[in-house]
Order: sequence, then structure tokens, then C-alpha cells
Amino acid sequence: MNECVHCGFCLQACPTYVVTGSEVHSPRGRIMAIKLGIPSEGLETCMFCRRCELACPSGVEYGKILEGARKANPLLRITHRFLEDPKRLYVALRVAQVERVKKFVPSPSKPLECSEERPDLILFPGCLTAVTLRGTVERALKFLRDRGFRVKIVNACCGLAHRGEGEVERAEELIESLRSRFGDLKVISLSSNCTAHMKEKGLRVMDFGEFVVESGVKVPEVGGRVTVHDPCHANLLGITKYTREVLKRAKIEVREMEEPSFECGAGGSNFIFQPQISDTIMEEKRRKIRKSGVEVVVSTNPSCSLVIAALGFKVVHLVDLLAS
Amino acid sequence: MGEQWVIDGDDRLLYSYDAFTLVKGSPFLVVLPGTEEEAIAAVRHLLSRGVRFVVRGSGTSLSGSTVPTQGEVVVSMTRLSRIYEVKGMEITVGPGIANALVSRGCPSWLFYSPDPSSYVVSSIGGNISHDSGGIHVLKYGTTSNNVVSLRVLLPDGTVEEVGGTPFLDPSQIFVGAEGTLGVVLRATLKLTPKPPKRRTVMGVFKDVNSASRAVVGVFRVGVIPAAMEMMDRNSILVVEKSRYRAGYPECGAILLVELDGFGADEEVELVSKVIEGNGGEVRVPKGDEEEERLWKGRKGAFAAMGVISSAYLTLDSNIPRSKLPEVLEGVYRIASRYGLFVANVFHAGDGNLHPLIPYDPENKSSIQRALEASAEIVRLALRAGGVVSGEHGIGIEKLRFMEDYYSSSDLEIMERIKGNFDPNRLLNPCKLLPRLEGCKAKDENLRILYKRPLEVE
Repeated sequence: MNECVHCGFCLQACPTYVVTGSEVHSPRGRIMAIKLGIPSEGLETCMFCRRCELACPSGVEYGKILEGARKANPLLRITHRFLEDPKRLYVALRVAQVERVKKFVPSPSKPLECSEERPDLILFPGCLTAVTLRGTVERALKFLRDRGFRVKIVNACCGLAHRGEGEVERAEELIESLRSRFGDLKVISLSSNCTAHMKEKGLRVMDFGEFVVESGVKVPEVGGRVTVHDPCHANLLGITKYTREVLKRAKIEVREMEEPSFECGAGGSNFIFQPQISDTIMEEKRRKIRKSGVEVVVSTNPSCSLVIAALGFKVVHLVDLLAS
Repeated sequence: MGEQWVIDGDDRLLYSYDAFTLVKGSPFLVVLPGTEEEAIAAVRHLLSRGVRFVVRGSGTSLSGSTVPTQGEVVVSMTRLSRIYEVKGMEITVGPGIANALVSRGCPSWLFYSPDPSSYVVSSIGGNISHDSGGIHVLKYGTTSNNVVSLRVLLPDGTVEEVGGTPFLDPSQIFVGAEGTLGVVLRATLKLTPKPPKRRTVMGVFKDVNSASRAVVGVFRVGVIPAAMEMMDRNSILVVEKSRYRAGYPECGAILLVELDGFGADEEVELVSKVIEGNGGEVRVPKGDEEEERLWKGRKGAFAAMGVISSAYLTLDSNIPRSKLPEVLEGVYRIASRYGLFVANVFHAGDGNLHPLIPYDPENKSSIQRALEASAEIVRLALRAGGVVSGEHGIGIEKLRFMEDYYSSSDLEIMERIKGNFDPNRLLNPCKLLPRLEGCKAKDENLRILYKRPLEVE
């Protein structure tokens, strides 16, 4: 925290600052609030995208500072518990009468199961992908099997939401549990921010695009034109470059939107619990996407995909493009 | 104005600082108007009640000019960030817009040329109030050369459109006034056609002396570079440890020179010869990626000081270019006498020094040392024919040097201007002008900057 020299270079990287112009809702303000011990409103509104870390010339590890300062309230804890088990999450989403949830998750599905004998690799959809984007999981499974892999699907949660929202210890437990479930198998994740989180915590996981590039599996010539949203944590770790490389190999033209890694507005659970600021960020994202002039958006992270779809764009995962 | 845009709880304390963190202020409250009308209403309200206030943009001032040292109300202009109009080669914007967003918002063949290192975040209102420079000052001028006209709210409550005339332009009095004369509500800025070509040359030198000689040499061959920046050994070290790691060589000093326009290639040849003629080695970046990295390292150098120290002072005296060798040598002498790791990363082309002086904010003697060393450095620059501040402003940081540079009649004239505009001294009080009667200094560091004795007042 002492590395922060208060230069303010992080301000424009921060989605909540961009839409409020308020120091209270900025990384610099939040760090100051933590230093001064002020229970600032800004600590609640942080989207935990950590884009400020990329903007910071002093290398302040904002994420670590913020995760240590947040405490999950009971409502958040319950939300996190549901995420931990996609089957339960599915049931919860089916019965939930929360308008906010229904708006972004109009039709949840049961997680796809698959456990082949002596699997070559694990397919990790990610908790939200498992129940909200089942079609993508199916296409990924087919994509891999068509190329001769025996696949085991692990439906679980990486704990990123827990980490960002005041349950760091629980996040560690979830990571450890995945470590033992993954064992020595190669893991392919369909949720790029989860990939990033698991990589940061030392799990050997590949993002789907990364697997395609590194393994050199054949990619069909798809053609067409898209714009790309870079999920925040994936962008932080630099793995979004694989998405672009796969698009290139598939001969798909990319028309860039403004600031591809700008927060989508989901912000962990913020799209439910901080609707006002969340909506303003989504509007800003809509404006930035529109600048590309393209209606098809590639997003490889589920919360971003749900939000961008709700904004009225056609959203596809990399694997949706390759399998179509 | 909605309730959420008036901050009167503890959160207001987040506006206690800008990028000058030596002195902590404490705002009475913070208001964030969302429209020009709201801003006018809020400021008029403060004026009519005789309440002192500080107008603030992104809070990146390096001289503390937006620190509410007297418990003022802070008026944040960050939400007034609209682009109102682009007309020909001029753009009209709200004061809260970040500098970088001006270039982004104008036609692709144009750009807004002043680019202080903080340009990604610093606001146009703040740039105007500090007459901010940046690396391209050398060829394209400072903010004052790029302001066409302003809409200003004056301390008597009236709104005036000023400027746009070629002779004795009245908008200029607000440029560099640090918010002490009026509130900038709107600015019409000059845009510049983007040069068709841009080339970068890096000169690698064994010491700052030979690099300094090359700086003068470049002008002698008839070249005005778009930018010419020097980084010394210490600043290279700092950047290479930071996220802005640029792959600079380990050496005594580097010169980063940008040449643009149709003659850029020819100028690269000329500058390269000057570099070699002064014992330097020429390096030309291979491709855009490397070029961008080299400049990003330079632009991030200040904030990168965070990797070695949680706080630093930065000075910005301008000196004649020919005096660079002796003044830099003096800076190192002073640094070593105080045992300080001083890094120099600066606009060598226009002789604008930026010694960065680290200190430990928790340690009184460290603060004392940094302040004393910086006073010696400024006086050294003044003796060499320099000025107190080239681009960061006086704020509170350099109040103590005003009398060293300006004569009493200079200061008297400034006081008369201030008195005519703002007789009640409500706008950004206790900044810029060294007349400090009625200015409270509870903070010990502030007392040093006010040149007051350190015992309790």
C-alpha cells in the first residue's frame, strides 16, 4: 500500500471513476480510505476488475489491498455458496424472483455432465458458464471430442467472486479443492477471468483460446467480422492475446471497440447489489462497443457475456465461432 | 444537485490531497456539479456566503495547488467533461475532461498537443490552471499557446467569455493562475494537424554532461525536435524496476528525441550525428512497439518512483540549456550531501529540470532533508538564470521561493491583480502568492513551506 504515491494515473482506468468522476469511487480514493480507516462507500462499489493495476506505474497491488479490506455481508455469502455448486446454482436461478437476476439470466440450464474413462483432459466451464451458457459448453465438448480427446467435465467454482468480495479464505479453499480435483490432467477453461484467477493461484489451467493456440489443433476457416471484449482479469494476465490469435487463424476480422478491456458492468456480484453504478458502466460499455460498428461481440467470460447480451448485442464465445 | 454529489461525511477526506502528498488538507465538504449550470449555482452560493473554496480537477497537481489547506469547500469539476463542439481546428470542452480524451474526441487528423506526463488522467481545467507543459512543449508550446478562449466564472459571480483575440488576449491571465482568479467553465482549445511522420532516436551517453552538450548541439544544426527528454542513471534504474520497464540501457544518461513532420528522416540523420559527435551511441527503436515502450517508460517515470519510495518531491525549474551540465552536477552534489537518491528525468530540450527527491512521509528528518535539498536545488537553478517553476505551478510547494525570484514590485502587481479579481480571497486561498496573512498552518510540513518557525503557533 505504501507504493501508492497518489499520482492518480489509475483514475481513468477505473470504470466506477469514469462514470462518477468521484475520488470516492476511484482506486486512489479507496486506497486512501483504507489507509485512513474510513468505511467508505467506494469500497462497496469497486468492480474488482483490477484494471488500475495495469495503469499503476508504481506496481501497487490494488487487488490484494482491496480483498483484505472487504467483508462479505450475509447476502453475498449466500450468493457465493450458490456459485460453489453449479447444480444448486441452477435451481437457485430457476426459482429466484429477483428482477435483476432474471434480466441477465433469462433461461438457466442444468450443467452439462461428462466423464469419460481415462480422460486426456478436463473441461472446466466455470460456475456461471455451466448454468447460463450450456450451449457453449456443449460445443466445446464436441470440439474437443471431434479432435480425439477424452474429456471429463468439472463443474465447480474457482472462487474469484469470493476473493473480490470479502471471502478470501473461502477462495483459497476452493482453489485448493480444485487443485486436488484437477490432479495432473490438462485443464481447459471456458471462463477467461476464472482462468486468470486460477493461474494467479498457481493452478495449471489453459484458457480455451490458449489451448487452441498452444496445442496447434486445427481451426476451421470461419470468416466474418466481430469485435472483441477483453475480460478484465484475463486482460490483466495478458491471456486475451490468445483469443485474438485464434480469431486470426480462423480468418475472422476483428474491428476493435473502444478500450476492449473496459469493464462490462457485471463486476462480480455488483450487477445485482450495486445496480445504479453498474447500469451506468453498462451504458458506457454499450457506447464503446457501438464505436466498433459491429454487432457481434466475442466474449470468453460468462458474466461479461450475459451483460453484453442484455445490452442488445449478439455475444459469442470463441468456441461458438469455431463450432458453427 | 443530487445528494450523492455532495460529500460531507468522512469520504470528503479522500479529497485531502492531490499528487503532492507532503501536506494534508481537510475539505469542509466536496461538491461535484454535473452540469455547467450546477457549477455556476454552487460557486455563486459559496461566493455569496463568503465561503472559501478550491476548484479541483483530477487531483494530479504536483505542487499541491488543489490541497484544501484551510478547510475550504472543494468544487470538483470532473463531471463537466463534455466535448461541446469541434469546429475547424478548435475544440470546446468542459474543464473536467482528461487531456487524453481531447485528442481522442477530435477528428483523426488532429491532436491536442500539450501532453503532461499525467495526460491520461489530468484535466484540461487543471492543465489550464497550471499552464501545463509536457514533452511536446518544445515544438508545439505549452497550454497557454494552445488556449483559444475560455468561459470563466469570476469571483463577482458573473460569467464571461474571454479570449479569441490575437493581441493582449485576456484569457491568458487565467492560464497558470492556479484557480485563484476565476473558475474555468469551458475551454476552446487549439488543435494541431498530426504530423505525417514520427521518428524516435535514443542517444546513450556515459554521463549527463555529454548528453547535455548534445541537447545544445541539436539546435545548432537547425533542428527543433518534437520532444527531447533526458533520463539519468537513477531515473533509468527506477523505470526499469517498475511496470513501465522499457529496456533502457544501463548508462549515465539517455536522450530520447522525437522528430516529426515531413523532414523527420533527415532530422534523424542530423540528430544522430550530434549524438555521436558528443560521444553518444545512437539507437533507433525497431518498430512501433519498442518506440512506444521507450516513451511509456519516460511518461511513467515520476509515478514509478513509488518502487523506491512512497513519496517524493519534484521540482520543475527551467534553466538555460547551456547551463544543464553545471546545474545537474550541482544537483548531484546537493543530493550526495543530503544522502538522497535523486533521479533526474526531464524535458531537456527546453531546459525544464525535474529532479525527483524521495522522502519517507513517516520520518520527520527525512522530510526535512528533502525540503532543504529541494530549496538548495531551486536556488541553484535561479542562480543559473532559471525560474522557480516551469510547468507544475507554485501551489503550496514553491511559495517559499517566490521572493527569491520575483521582485517586491512584481509581487505587488500580482497582489493588485488578485485584489481586483477576488478582493475577499475566496478562490484557492493561501496558494501561489506569498502573502500569507490569515493562512493557518496546523500541519508542520505546511509551516516549513510557509517559512514559519516550527513551534506551535
